[in-house]
Amino acid sequence: MKRSHEPPLWLLFGAGGLLAALLGPALILLTGVVVPVAAERGVEVLGYEATRELLARPLVGVLLALSLGVVLWHAAHRIYHTLRDLGMRAGQGVWWACYGSAAIGTLVAIGAVIALW
Amino acid sequence: MSEPAKITLEVQRYHPEQDSGPRWQRYTVPYTAEMSVLEGLQYIKDHLDGSLTFRWSCRMAICGSCGCMIDGEPELACHVFLRDYAPGPVRVAALDHFPIQRDLVIDHSDFLEKLETVHSYLIPAEERTPADGTHRQTPQAMADYYDYAQCINCLLCYAACPQYGWHPDFAGPAALALLQRYNLDDRDGGHRLRERVIDAEQGVWGCTLVGYCSEVCPKGVDPARAINQNKAGSAARYLLGWWRPGRRRGEDRE
Amino acid sequence: MSRPPVYRPSMRGWWQRHPAYRRYLLREGSSALLAAYALWLLAGLVSLAAGEAAYERWRELHGNPWVFGVHLAALLAALYHAVTWFRLLPLTLPALRWGGRRITDRTLVRGAWLTYVALSVGVWLYLLGGVR
Repeated sequence: MKRSHEPPLWLLFGAGGLLAALLGPALILLTGVVVPVAAERGVEVLGYEATRELLARPLVGVLLALSLGVVLWHAAHRIYHTLRDLGMRAGQGVWWACYGSAAIGTLVAIGAVIALW
Repeated sequence: MSEPAKITLEVQRYHPEQDSGPRWQRYTVPYTAEMSVLEGLQYIKDHLDGSLTFRWSCRMAICGSCGCMIDGEPELACHVFLRDYAPGPVRVAALDHFPIQRDLVIDHSDFLEKLETVHSYLIPAEERTPADGTHRQTPQAMADYYDYAQCINCLLCYAACPQYGWHPDFAGPAALALLQRYNLDDRDGGHRLRERVIDAEQGVWGCTLVGYCSEVCPKGVDPARAINQNKAGSAARYLLGWWRPGRRRGEDRE
Repeated sequence: MSRPPVYRPSMRGWWQRHPAYRRYLLREGSSALLAAYALWLLAGLVSLAAGEAAYERWRELHGNPWVFGVHLAALLAALYHAVTWFRLLPLTLPALRWGGRRITDRTLVRGAWLTYVALSVGVWLYLLGGVR
């Protein structure tokens, strides 16, 4: 029997899924709903200076970048498997498109955080 | 005496000598409140159409022979009642995801081959001879695997598993649940042999936790749990194997 | 004697066969909206690094009805994801014991939701407090 190379992908998928379940709703509510609703009433939430100062802290920045990365891995993993489930002959190309874009997204996030320092 | 109530059954037929694919045939069957769907099929065979072919044995949900799709749900035909589908038509088809040999009879040889690969038998941790007497187990230790030991190999879980439907190589719910039954037995010492099945492409990594297998199990086995309990351990072995390449434990034992 | 041919059923349209399959695809599909949100945050992070003008443009875009709508959809997807994730969480753990007694699935799921509430409140306090 051939050993599966799924475990590292699954671990990243699991980390992203757990994080998205624990923090996803609260974060989406804050940045996606509270920010525009507050802006309508003239209240600034997550303004430039404060956000920049916050994310320039190395620990916060790196945690955010890695969190975005694992959530992208989580989605890449599920989308790849769902495409297969839907009958797509998902070869190497689809594999690289899914996991590759998650990897690029992670690198971009890390780059952006480093640029803030 | 009043007329007995009647129910319409739409049964999937396939006779390879004459049919290129399955077709549906309708039968109207008189039924009473205590008649199972299996008894409906038996009525058809005895009184309406002797050519209808299906498997059955015990009539009491323990032999696991009469599994079929009833209105799209994998069920044991002896375990559901005609009254719950009256007046019909209720569709009775062969178990999903398996090759159909004739009418409701599927070819389950693939599962039997898989069952042989998972070492679903006790491999004593210590050498024993019959002179040592009964190989005893405590109730508390038994509780760890009791649910998994209830599997009757009826294959309803395979009919509920799209991953098995797509990838017939996947060991599948029942085989992996039976594997877990022996892995959780504290008298057993065979877990290293079984780890090779768990860690393989055909093992637990073929599962995407659809979870429907556990819903359809007539014996409460919960194969989805048996499989997914193993993923963290398998992942840990994978990473440790990376750490110490070529030194994977148990690789030298057969 | 040659064996008569078997009929091999196809998987075409398999999700139409049972609601459990559609719930599964919905669960997996929720990840696409989670990815969209992660990419949106990534865009915000990049614009933050690019400077104040870019970041403010990103922030203003939140008022766009389409962007707002996608955020609401992502919020629903994230909630569905959390519900399904926590429900399945006990299946992925070995049988845990506490003082000789098995910890039930119910307790584990409750623990997950308590953690969820604590972290949600914590993140809100941290971000709103730290950003003021």
